[in-house]
Amino acid sequence: MDTPLIQVTDLAKHYQVSRRRPGFWGALKTFVAGGHTLVRAVDQISFSVARGELVGYLGPNGAGKSTTIKMLTGLLVPSAGELVVDGFVPWRARTQYVAHIGAVFGQRTTLWWDLPVMDSFELLRAIYKVPPARFAHNLAEFRELLELDGFLNTPVRALSLGQRMRADFCAAMLHNPRLLFLDEPTVGLDVVAKERIRQFIAHINAEHGTTVLLTTHDLQDVERLCRRVLIIDQGRLLYDGELAHLQTRFGGQRELVVDFSEVYTNVDIPDAQVLELEGQRAVYAFQRDGISASELIGRISARYRVRDLSVREPQIEATIRRIYEERLLDAPASAPITPFPAFKIQESP
Amino acid sequence: MFATLAFHWQIYRRLIGAQLRAQMQYRVSMLFEIAATALIMSLFFVSLALVMQRLENIGGWNLAQIAFLWGMVETGFGLMDMFFSGFDPAFFGRRVRQGTFDELLLRPVSVTVQVFGDQFVIRRLGRIIQGLAILTFAFSTGDIAWTAAKIAYLPLVLAGLVLYFGGLFIVGATITFWTVESIEAINVFTYGGSEMLAYPMHIYPDILRRTFTYILPAALLNYYPALYILDLPDPMSLPGWLRFVAPLAGGLLFAGALAFWRFGVRHYHSTGS
Amino acid sequence: MRIFWIITWHSIRRHLTYRAAAWAGLITNIFFGILRAAVLLALLGARAELAGVTAQDAITFTALTQAIIAYLSIFGWYELMNSVHTGQVSGDLLKPLGLFRYWLAVDLGRAGVALLLRGCTIMLIYAAFVPITTPPTPAHWLALAVSLSLAWYISFAWRFIVNLAAFWSPNAAGVGRFAFGITWVLSGFFLPLRFYPDWFIALCNATPFPAMVNTVIEIYLGLVHGQAMLYLLAQQVVWAIALYIAAQLILRAGIRRLVIQGG
Repeated sequence: MDTPLIQVTDLAKHYQVSRRRPGFWGALKTFVAGGHTLVRAVDQISFSVARGELVGYLGPNGAGKSTTIKMLTGLLVPSAGELVVDGFVPWRARTQYVAHIGAVFGQRTTLWWDLPVMDSFELLRAIYKVPPARFAHNLAEFRELLELDGFLNTPVRALSLGQRMRADFCAAMLHNPRLLFLDEPTVGLDVVAKERIRQFIAHINAEHGTTVLLTTHDLQDVERLCRRVLIIDQGRLLYDGELAHLQTRFGGQRELVVDFSEVYTNVDIPDAQVLELEGQRAVYAFQRDGISASELIGRISARYRVRDLSVREPQIEATIRRIYEERLLDAPASAPITPFPAFKIQESP
Repeated sequence: MFATLAFHWQIYRRLIGAQLRAQMQYRVSMLFEIAATALIMSLFFVSLALVMQRLENIGGWNLAQIAFLWGMVETGFGLMDMFFSGFDPAFFGRRVRQGTFDELLLRPVSVTVQVFGDQFVIRRLGRIIQGLAILTFAFSTGDIAWTAAKIAYLPLVLAGLVLYFGGLFIVGATITFWTVESIEAINVFTYGGSEMLAYPMHIYPDILRRTFTYILPAALLNYYPALYILDLPDPMSLPGWLRFVAPLAGGLLFAGALAFWRFGVRHYHSTGS
Repeated sequence: MRIFWIITWHSIRRHLTYRAAAWAGLITNIFFGILRAAVLLALLGARAELAGVTAQDAITFTALTQAIIAYLSIFGWYELMNSVHTGQVSGDLLKPLGLFRYWLAVDLGRAGVALLLRGCTIMLIYAAFVPITTPPTPAHWLALAVSLSLAWYISFAWRFIVNLAAFWSPNAAGVGRFAFGITWVLSGFFLPLRFYPDWFIALCNATPFPAMVNTVIEIYLGLVHGQAMLYLLAQQVVWAIALYIAAQLILRAGIRRLVIQGG
């Protein structure tokens, strides 16, 4: 168990992006002459994931997330660096390698659109060469967990989004992949459906030991499921560590809500900022590295009569947005940072 | 090697089988569509036949002889269109544009086998039936001097046509890895090719005839075999063995197309777009 | 009326953006034109003319028919059908213009771009490389303009009716392929109507299809004059009115069905 399941070392993907020439002859010229500008979609990232981990892979649109995932799943050949997953170099032995992984995309189904769900499962059984006994066992388990019985014989195109996602999850797990890639698995679902999917992810991670790499914009997914997160932006890995640690380090200002026993007109305290003062209630903002909560409470209760108080932690969402926007994490300086819009070409080919 | 082949064959069969079952959910409308396709496609030949009542021949070929060319091309193209519809540039281009081609790459089976099994349009049977009907007309009215060699050669010519047009579909599909905007131009070679092969090559302007004999050997696939089977002279007086290379020409184009396809998939792996 | 022109203008702008497709379409149209011309010339053989159509007229016939493929959407038009299948049509029904006039405006923009960019370019390219016939008198030019406009209106009404099949059948595309295939042949697009046996010509003339293509050809090639020409134009007017009424009636039945079944 010492060797990590995923070992990524200085992985990079550069694209030669040609300035698109308009028209048929332009396309022909591009076809013949090839590209010009170099875009670093993924720029020398390194990380490893141990077996059984459930890791969140976060970043804004165009950060290089999907390029990384495409390399990890063997769809894309890296420009530089090393990449070993489960003993395979994904792009070199694509067909053998992908037999050991699974993938679920929230935006689209990997099932056959016109076929009943069960027919899709049967096809996947043949494609992944799942032995009949194991197939029956897996199907029985996931059927119950995901409550598929009501629509196993319905064509995929007639399913609701929630049903389709459940079917997709079952399809991705039928061959017992060691590694599961999830791309926005809860996007567009209602609260109940989201929770059901999250429970399933937690279950397969805990019970089957499936390693999961989760890409999502829904940070509740991350809070609920991931202890560890990777944050990527502009092709570089900005953070690799525990989610909780991220919060204490970059959570920024916390808030203290105080209910006084009487009405004060001036409640100023050094090292804290009064955000609101209304009636008997005041809200203070204070920096994590400026003053501790107990110290602040001490100072306040020394001057005023306090009836009740509570500390508000910042939302994880706000924290991560701050990291993106304020560039709190400095990436190691190497090549100049590529301008943002260049990635869009790769995101929506 | 054999095990891989058997596995691929099994997957292909299952993919096609699933397609058939899905399409057969609407059996009646499917039968209606097949009949309608056969009928409407025959209408073109019937109208040509009507015009040929007054204008007896095309470049010296009578209706039965034209029917032979026409029937072969329609049958060949129809068969191809059924077995290669996964590579249909319009259909495949949509896959690439929407990024759903990635799904095929995520499955542990040869991607070529998966694209072959990706679409199987039963409706195309209509075109095949129409082609066979026109061929039957050609055989029954054309007093062809049949020999055992001719009868044996006929299916090979058909195979050549299927491989040739299939190769063009594959080339068209591969081009969509680079551009999806101009795929209509590929129609010049696929649908244009099938239109062209339905008539004797010597009626076309020299530059077209030469291009489609020496560069893209379409003439070798239908016209030259027809000269042999119908016992007609070659107005261009090219060597006689050209009449017997239809399956070879089709096979070569198909092999070239597959090589280009592999190159295209590799390119896709390095750019992802 | 203002809304009508706004929609038309949007449609024009939209179709002007498909530049790569326009080039590809142009090349395809010209290539097929050459093939068809070769077939027609081979059919005529050594004859000077047949039914008034000379070899030069035959070449012009292929030029003209290839030039109006895009203008008249001869290979088919499925947009309304798709909007019914996707449910988009419910929104379109709420538009103040009415479904027929809404799509008429959209198609006007599309056809206008196709006629000017595709149609005229094809005719000019032909004129530059091969001798082609032109309308013999100013009256023919005038009649051609009228006839081309009516041909578009008739073809639109017909395509609209075919698309309405989507209100009844989930598989209307099959109906469309069948209907548009018939249009190809009976309109005189596939081969000049004059080359067919008389009984077949009479059969075609009992349908609206020749008013979409054949009339334009007869006038352009100067195969009809004076009263006969006016008669052809009058026929087009009658078909335009008849198909308009038919479209309205079928549309009303279709909407009733949509309302009752709830789409």
